Amino acid sequence: MTTLSHAPVSTRPIPNPKRSLITRLNMGTGIIVGAIFCWGTYYAMRAGRDMTDSHNVNKVLLASMLMWSFGFLVGIGALIGPFRWLIGKDLTAEEQLYLAGDGQGVKRYFKYCTDHKVVGIQYLVGVMTMLGVGGTMAMMIRTNLATPGSHLVTPNVYNSLVGLHGITMIIAMIIVATGPFGNYIMPIMIGARDMAFPRLNALSWWVLFTAIPVLCSAWFLGGIPTGWTAYAPLSDQAGPGMNAFLATIIIFAVSTAVAGMNITTTVIAMRAKGMKWNRVPIFVVGATISVALAIPAFPTFMLAMIQTGMDRTIATGFYDANVGGSGWLYANLFWIMGHPEVYVILIPGVAALMEIAPVFVRKPLFSYNAAIAGFAGIAGLSVLVWAHHMYMSGWMPSLNGPFMITTEFISVPTGLLFLVLVGTLWRGRPWMKLPMLSVYAFLWNFLIGGITGVYLSDVPADNYLHGSMFVTAHFHYTLMGAAFTGAMAGLVYWFPKMTGRMLNERAGYIAFWLIQIGFNVLFLGMFMAGAQGQPRRVADYAFVYEHSNMISTAGAYSVGIGMITLLWAVVHSWRNGKIAPMNPWGAKTLEWTVPYPVPLENFDVEPIITSDPYGYGKAAN
Amino acid sequence: MSTDTEFHIHHDSAEKVGRRERLGVRLLIVADGSFVFGMMFSWFYLRNLNENNAWLPKGVHTFTTASGYTAAIGLIIAALAHRAGEMNHGLRRVSSIVVFLALLIGAVYQWHQMAHMPFIAHDDNGRPFYNGAYASNWVLVAGANMFHYLLGAFVALGLVIRGYRTKLDPVLEEWRQRTAGSWFTWIAISGILCAIAASFK
Repeated sequence: MTTLSHAPVSTRPIPNPKRSLITRLNMGTGIIVGAIFCWGTYYAMRAGRDMTDSHNVNKVLLASMLMWSFGFLVGIGALIGPFRWLIGKDLTAEEQLYLAGDGQGVKRYFKYCTDHKVVGIQYLVGVMTMLGVGGTMAMMIRTNLATPGSHLVTPNVYNSLVGLHGITMIIAMIIVATGPFGNYIMPIMIGARDMAFPRLNALSWWVLFTAIPVLCSAWFLGGIPTGWTAYAPLSDQAGPGMNAFLATIIIFAVSTAVAGMNITTTVIAMRAKGMKWNRVPIFVVGATISVALAIPAFPTFMLAMIQTGMDRTIATGFYDANVGGSGWLYANLFWIMGHPEVYVILIPGVAALMEIAPVFVRKPLFSYNAAIAGFAGIAGLSVLVWAHHMYMSGWMPSLNGPFMITTEFISVPTGLLFLVLVGTLWRGRPWMKLPMLSVYAFLWNFLIGGITGVYLSDVPADNYLHGSMFVTAHFHYTLMGAAFTGAMAGLVYWFPKMTGRMLNERAGYIAFWLIQIGFNVLFLGMFMAGAQGQPRRVADYAFVYEHSNMISTAGAYSVGIGMITLLWAVVHSWRNGKIAPMNPWGAKTLEWTVPYPVPLENFDVEPIITSDPYGYGKAAN
Repeated sequence: MSTDTEFHIHHDSAEKVGRRERLGVRLLIVADGSFVFGMMFSWFYLRNLNENNAWLPKGVHTFTTASGYTAAIGLIIAALAHRAGEMNHGLRRVSSIVVFLALLIGAVYQWHQMAHMPFIAHDDNGRPFYNGAYASNWVLVAGANMFHYLLGAFVALGLVIRGYRTKLDPVLEEWRQRTAGSWFTWIAISGILCAIAASFK
């Protein structure tokens, strides 16, 4: 990819809006105002209400949680922009530059900063924190399941652990690639100076941030008994902790819609001159398809949560059969979102690996068009397969056949993704650096995850396997084995650009092998237990499953140690790592043409694209 | 032309920024449309399922068929008035005020309708509940309308105020009018869809 000199961007004034409120607001003021809104709402709504009535309790808690989120946004200054628009006094140039964090150092990470690179780092730290919390819960689950009859935690706590581990990890995995890399790297990859809507970009992160303490509050409110799927009517009847789950999803859906709209608009409208659609880096294509898929998918999840919230607070009956509701309605709304969401998670991870593979084999990406057809095919079909999650629920048995066919058909575009990666590797001479190892790990893991998915899509096989550990192992192979592996590769690959330093290679290799070997031991063991019939989401099990569970737990500890090693590698390298050259991998995409630290507006001169990004082995033009 | 919106951090032209904003709003409309589609699905699914014959339990009062349409009138008037302002620039200030008032009055009417729903029953302990899936769906649809009214009123008020300010980039403001038009048109369509659904008792 070639860049040519063009007219220099205009010089900018030094931001110093001393009298502006913007300069006085930060994360601390956000927390204070959020807490005031939260407690104010709590005490105001409690007054005069009968708090022995569960509807009133739910009403007060849900409103308090949502007001925390709103208050935080007020306190950090997120609403200054809209308010100033309303009164016709738009933010001045100085204020916009101040918001972009110009010259503010580390402080900008704790402010409502609109610079996409700051938002990318915020997402990265947020994702790592969520993976740490979710992973700790996973270790507690596996420790409890190490031997039959274990009483490390009570069955109720175990239920909550499973549910909160699930939703924490799902949220973390949805943003694991598009959050850090979609924000930090992607605008630079397409030659843009920032995202299309910088203020909304900051909003998407800080809205998500407010969801984290809300979700954590579930522990102090009795946990959630429903698993991450929060099936009704159980969620209607669950204790106060369920409100935290509902508020989290509602807040998260807002963040996702805003982020999805922003990334999609940026890619459509802000590509550099000469970057035609067939010259867009494949990671950008994958991330865009992923977030574009999320735009229509997540509102139905939000709707399901709002309906559950209404049942719990104002006594509607969407999911209460006594007053005409149905749990099937929830299952439909949830899985209309739920299955596309799997691909929202998967596609960016795969796309990151497709971005990496050509760089490390020094060959063009094999069939760029097939890769796009694969992504588009998966995205298109993903909205037509939701009821395969409901084969055994009794809902419309006559539709099981059609849904089985659409589900199995999705293996065709998925096969294209394999073809592209294998074709890229074919007869190449791979440079076996850490990101490249992840490509091979992905091919192995996703092969297992994909093939076991075909079994589960088959109605007779699902009749036996559904609700078992086999399902748990399958979706971990796709989400962790494939999507997380892709995101980990992306972290190692783009780490030099995001931090200016190389990731500690030895620690990285140790972490990689501990995670990948441990992962396979963990979930192959779980396949065994599932095939034998061990049900999922149960705190204890029969002795017949003892060996497979012991194997799984041993694997889990390997993954856990690997994750801690990776975390150490990241933190240590960020502070003390070897200084990275501008383009350590010799890649051809635009992000490697800018220095570290990346300038506020990314490029001193506007780039003009004259060739595709994977022209390895071709004469430079 | 003033210094207020002359500067944009991307250094892009007002034309580019305007197009981009419209695209962004249209994508948000897709998200909102998905939400409305989900509400339609809920309405017709529960109606056709009629679990325990409790879609509309015996003796439960309902709104009239026209109620859904009257709730949407404010949204429709707002969309039409905005369109009139777009077609005739001389009417723009007046149309902006009409849009804002239509949405404000519509919101008040919607609030009144929600406060006087005929299908709220009370259990043995005297606690209120929505009797039947019809009632549940009605309150959800009314809530969505209310959200559209309030958000629309915020946008309309902004356009009214900005219409009286002279220190704004006219090209960008023109694009924002068009972008707002996309939103007003969508919320009117959404109101009509909700009204159609609500007419199926």
